[in-house]
Amino acid sequence: MTRSSRTRPPSGASDPERATPDLLPSLERRLLSIPDDKFLEVVRLLERVRDHPDVRQTFESIRPRLAQMRPERRPTLKRVLCLPFEDVLEGVGGGEGPLGRIERRVIAPLWGIIEDGADRHQLDQLDRMVQEVAPGDHNALLNIGRRLWPLAAQVLRAAVEDDRSRQALWRRLHGDEGLQRQVIDAAAYLDIGLTIEALKSDLSPRPLPELEDHHIAAIEQAAQAVARQSVTAVYPLLLVAAARLATPADLLRVLNDLDLGKARREQPALFAQLSGLVVSNLEARSARFDGNADRAGRPTVTPEDVMATAEGLIASVTTTTNVMDRLNEPIYRDRLAAVTSAVGAMVAESVLDTAPQGILTAIPAPGGPPGVDEDAQIAAEDHVRALRRCDRLADTLGLRQQVNETIKRMGQGVEARAQALLRDYPQRVGDASAAEAAELTLFYSLRLMELLAGSAKADPLRLAILAAIGESPDPE
Amino acid sequence: MLKGAIDYAPSTFEERGAAVAFTTPLLSQTRVRRGERTKLEVLIPALSEGMGLYVVPWKAMPEMVPMTMHDRYLHDLIVKEEACSPQEIRRATLKAAKRGLAGPQAAQAARRALEEDEEQGTLTHYLLLLSILKAVGLESPEMLKAGIGTDEGQRLTRQLMARAADSLNLEANLLYARLAEVAAAVAPVGLAQSPKPGRLLRGMQELKSFRDSMTQWANEVPNDAAPVAAFCADVAQHTIGIGDAILTDFQRRVDAIGPLMRDWETDFAVIRNHARRMAWLLDGWTHVTGAWEVALTEDRQQQALTINELFRILPLLPKKESRVDMVGAAKRVTSVHRRSVRMLEDWRTGEMDMDAIRRIERVKARAA
Repeated sequence: MTRSSRTRPPSGASDPERATPDLLPSLERRLLSIPDDKFLEVVRLLERVRDHPDVRQTFESIRPRLAQMRPERRPTLKRVLCLPFEDVLEGVGGGEGPLGRIERRVIAPLWGIIEDGADRHQLDQLDRMVQEVAPGDHNALLNIGRRLWPLAAQVLRAAVEDDRSRQALWRRLHGDEGLQRQVIDAAAYLDIGLTIEALKSDLSPRPLPELEDHHIAAIEQAAQAVARQSVTAVYPLLLVAAARLATPADLLRVLNDLDLGKARREQPALFAQLSGLVVSNLEARSARFDGNADRAGRPTVTPEDVMATAEGLIASVTTTTNVMDRLNEPIYRDRLAAVTSAVGAMVAESVLDTAPQGILTAIPAPGGPPGVDEDAQIAAEDHVRALRRCDRLADTLGLRQQVNETIKRMGQGVEARAQALLRDYPQRVGDASAAEAAELTLFYSLRLMELLAGSAKADPLRLAILAAIGESPDPE
Repeated sequence: MLKGAIDYAPSTFEERGAAVAFTTPLLSQTRVRRGERTKLEVLIPALSEGMGLYVVPWKAMPEMVPMTMHDRYLHDLIVKEEACSPQEIRRATLKAAKRGLAGPQAAQAARRALEEDEEQGTLTHYLLLLSILKAVGLESPEMLKAGIGTDEGQRLTRQLMARAADSLNLEANLLYARLAEVAAAVAPVGLAQSPKPGRLLRGMQELKSFRDSMTQWANEVPNDAAPVAAFCADVAQHTIGIGDAILTDFQRRVDAIGPLMRDWETDFAVIRNHARRMAWLLDGWTHVTGAWEVALTEDRQQQALTINELFRILPLLPKKESRVDMVGAAKRVTSVHRRSVRMLEDWRTGEMDMDAIRRIERVKARAA
């Protein structure tokens, strides 16, 4: 008898053709829970009316799932425009923030500036071409980008440089200096759009787990190519390269060994710029950790998510620290130590302090109602895995003692609860269904013990359970 | 100790042994077989740097290799039940997974698989019964309308089966007994007319998808593992070739249900043998195709690692089953294989790789 996690039934959102835009806000939440194939079907239908404000809002709210599933989207001219800087577009819901990020909210005013300033006939022609492109035909999009990107960069630059249009731009951006800076940055990415696209293809898939020799060669070659165009174009290119790496700080490690061609003299400045940005980015990401709780203070991310982020951050901090130490650059040392400390605090709060609640409560107290909560068991196992991952980082985070104590305390807690269940087991034997549930609970507690302490330490509990249920191994 | 795993070339399925879905990475898909003096023994590859193949008495295994709690339980179960055919091993594996020791998701998958087995058994029995009636010209719309589960349906079925037994010159009880035996032998494969393919037919479909996916990967991905992927596709193709031939003859014989009931001694033995061969043929492939399905959701580097791991446990056809020298072909790709194998745990210290265990459990959770 189990209360297992089951696939949620398809919701009313499975019939999107009848869903009017007015109903969409109420359907957004359901869209996050319907099965994958249904979700893709709804996305395809919504794309046809994507200019409706409610539909745009719906796309915003389902963006995390879109980012996860990456369905083939219908190409639009606006999407082609964003290709060169898509890797530095800000993450979703406060997720990983790329270096030198461009906010998504800049896209609408940016596009407005281009529509106002560019030759209408040319834009219409490109728009017609986009509409004929089949989803997935990346080469066709590149051919359109080849014409669109220089045109857009020119319009954006003119809008910033000309006094009259600068005022119009200022109004459009509601006087937001940050957005204005990002418009200028976007123009820099558009200037080297084709080189960026070629580099993206060389640095695939994203995120790139390891920066290998052929990747480094591709970055070097691309940097030399854009440096021939303009030495200032190397920096945005490097930002894209860094954004495609699982550990952006890896780029710092190799940057000083790259031959940047005409931008060779800029190398120290580029290194300083990039390392400053890497450290600021790490600070921002560690600060974002603080926002991982809801209004009631409950964590909104799982302990395993916290550990994945912590591992990524610590890998970056370690790489950056090593690079800085090698170059005898002490300026960032304190800031990097502060990032490590922030990560440690968050891990302690989200993984260690919550362990009793997350792990021990999955094992029911004896005498409770029959039935096994498998969702609670899954969550508890995930929590134990997070704890074990924490063990690997404990020394770096200065949490060695705390981690050891938590693992020990959880092991003792699981053992105590399992023994209580063993004592209670004989009372369940009369009822087959209750006995089956009690046995499953005992085996689940054994599994938690194994995950926490290893199989050798869990083995006595295994033998005790088998003896209690009458399944002891055959004697030799 | 035998030479390397690749050098080992068993002659028959029985000699190759049945794959056991252990969760300890080092023991994953280890094969159990009946050795001399009918004692169970196990072939453990790669105990030291991937070079050796040990033949170990089954009972001694826990002393040699640290095992997960799931594997200790499964090991004991196999000892108790003296299991060593694919069907017996599968039954023990599902029982161990149902205990929850490979995680709640694997327990849920095991429960689903057992339910499906039961449903498939009932469905096959019913469809064969209808085939018998049809074969002797006794189709009854009334019986179908009443439904075999109702009292009225049961009464009509008994009447019709009694008449069918007369037509076949058999005692009714004997006809029922033969029907039950055919259903038990056929259910794991499934019937062509069944709305849902049987487990082994599904296995064949999955193997074909695996072959196509491996071929595509080998052609499209510039990676050291590409020749290994091509080899995996090749082994899958040979297995499919043999499986398709067995299935064609199997379906033909099951379709001729009237003659089968009459020429029982010879025909049924062939059908049962075909079903057993299908089980042996696909033994070990469920994990391989499942692991690849999981890897398809991951990046190319992870996929390459998975391909190299799958190479280690690929169910090569025994010499008597295929004229192709698979062991020789495997040797040719070995040099590539050794380049990027994921490290297993250090068996001497007993430290297990939790991530590797979790990957195996994830495969177990998707298809038991």
